[in-house]
Amino acid sequence: MLLDINASVGHWPFQHYNYNTCLSLLDRMNKYGVDISVISNLNGVFYKNTQSANEELFSEISSDTRFKDRFIAFGIINPIYAGWRDDLSVCSSKFGFRGVRLYPLYHDYELIDPLCIELVRAARDAGMVVAFTLRIVDSRPRSWMDIQKEWALKDIIPIIRAVPDAKFMILNVANSTELTDDEAALIMNSDVLLDTSGRAISNLGELLKKFGNNKFAFGTHSPVLDYVSGRLRIESLRASEADEATRELIRSGNARRVLGI
Amino acid sequence: MSRKIDRRTFFERSAVSSAGLFLGGMVAGCSVKKSEGISDYDVMAEVMRYRKIDAHEHVDLYSGGPEVQIDFADRLGIERLVVSKPVTTQTGTPDEFREANDHILKAMKLYPDRIMGQVTLNPQYLKESMEEIKRCVDQGMVGIKVYYQVKINDPLFYPIIEKSIDLKMLILMHANCQLGMAGYRMKYDTHLNPNTSLPEDFVEAAKRYPEAMLQYAHTGGGGDWEYACKSFRDYPNIYVDTSGSNNEGNMIDFALEYLGEDRLFFGTDTSYYQGVGDVLASELNEVQRKKIFFENYNAVLRKGGRDVA
Repeated sequence: MLLDINASVGHWPFQHYNYNTCLSLLDRMNKYGVDISVISNLNGVFYKNTQSANEELFSEISSDTRFKDRFIAFGIINPIYAGWRDDLSVCSSKFGFRGVRLYPLYHDYELIDPLCIELVRAARDAGMVVAFTLRIVDSRPRSWMDIQKEWALKDIIPIIRAVPDAKFMILNVANSTELTDDEAALIMNSDVLLDTSGRAISNLGELLKKFGNNKFAFGTHSPVLDYVSGRLRIESLRASEADEATRELIRSGNARRVLGI
Repeated sequence: MSRKIDRRTFFERSAVSSAGLFLGGMVAGCSVKKSEGISDYDVMAEVMRYRKIDAHEHVDLYSGGPEVQIDFADRLGIERLVVSKPVTTQTGTPDEFREANDHILKAMKLYPDRIMGQVTLNPQYLKESMEEIKRCVDQGMVGIKVYYQVKINDPLFYPIIEKSIDLKMLILMHANCQLGMAGYRMKYDTHLNPNTSLPEDFVEAAKRYPEAMLQYAHTGGGGDWEYACKSFRDYPNIYVDTSGSNNEGNMIDFALEYLGEDRLFFGTDTSYYQGVGDVLASELNEVQRKKIFFENYNAVLRKGGRDVA
């Protein structure tokens, strides 16, 4: 089975994207054989009060019986905005969201801001996964109103070090995966997943040797990136690089472990 | 988690276990059955269904020698690679571009059935560039690849373009279009070479030489592809290749809308998965996919008698 840990619905303010509703994404999933998608609402990147976006997502998923079995929702929380603790609680207990995606670069706080660390701990305690995206869009052709900064894998290390027993997803690995030995050890000893959508996953066979079979999961970064490349990186692996059991871990097994499903 | 589990078994198990997992009864409980319309899309079967010419490829530039490119090409069913090694210094001396072309000639000899070469040059050295075109075309190169030493619409380029017309050869020009590099957004300094060719420069050259064939490089290479495709709508002698690492979801469909199905080339520029994935994820029909993956570029090669059988 295929479980996409990196999809979104919602609007991107600087450019039109297709397949950014639950219904159109579901059609996409059916066409390309994707069973389940983890989604959040892109609107939450831009709303000051991100909970409005989470409510939109909850409402959309609730609107069609076909959605509830095919989507796993993540909320978007901004820990420097009022009421985030309540928002997180509602996302977890009322909406049933399984995780949160955080956007420090867009919401203008440091990754190891004490409030961010508190949020990650709270998510951990609620059994929720915490996801960071190294970039939403390529900064080169960005809008003049968009942010310029992108992260490398190394930039995420401080929050993993701060809350090493949380569960993390690192999405759209578009930039360097270079780490020191200590940093690599931290990744390997933590419950961290990297999705396969990013351009830096250019040689998954080598990355599997470096990080191990349980650190990667299928992801598309839909609707921003094309729907197929993240899967090609898995399915074009040679038998010498990944046996069928390893592929299945990447297609869904690792994600199911981290999501607890 | 190494134990294999099929989709049906997983859903049947998780339909039971998920009942207690979600307060409020929300979110994927995973009771989906295969019969609900999820296809058994075999992505590698789709990949291998199409003949492909990679219209924008390099060797000994970013990621190793030709064996690296051939390895990726084999994985993804890419039959032919049109390769070059542009000189990426501003100087671009004859010694530099001759040495770069020697790399390509060597790669062509190593993989004669896979690698098609493009000659690189610098119009600031016209005599030497013309000699280099002859040297490399005589040894089987099929096109011209140029970088940012001189803009495509610079008068220094005119003799090179005229030569390409005589030879019925495509010119692949490095290009960009982003903040500080096109349109009215010049107040931003993105530290790119100011001689980089912009969409507007291509249009000017295409208007001056309507019989020339100009290839705008890598719509997925970090430029604003919407801007570029809109710029090229009315200029049938400007082609674009869809290579580059920024495989945005609707780039191909947008390019098709503005440029039609005959002016798009599949390419990778060493971003192999994105190059193939972007086309497969598009809404192109079967005929259009075949055109973009193979036939459009082959049609250009055919004009000079260099097409692939």
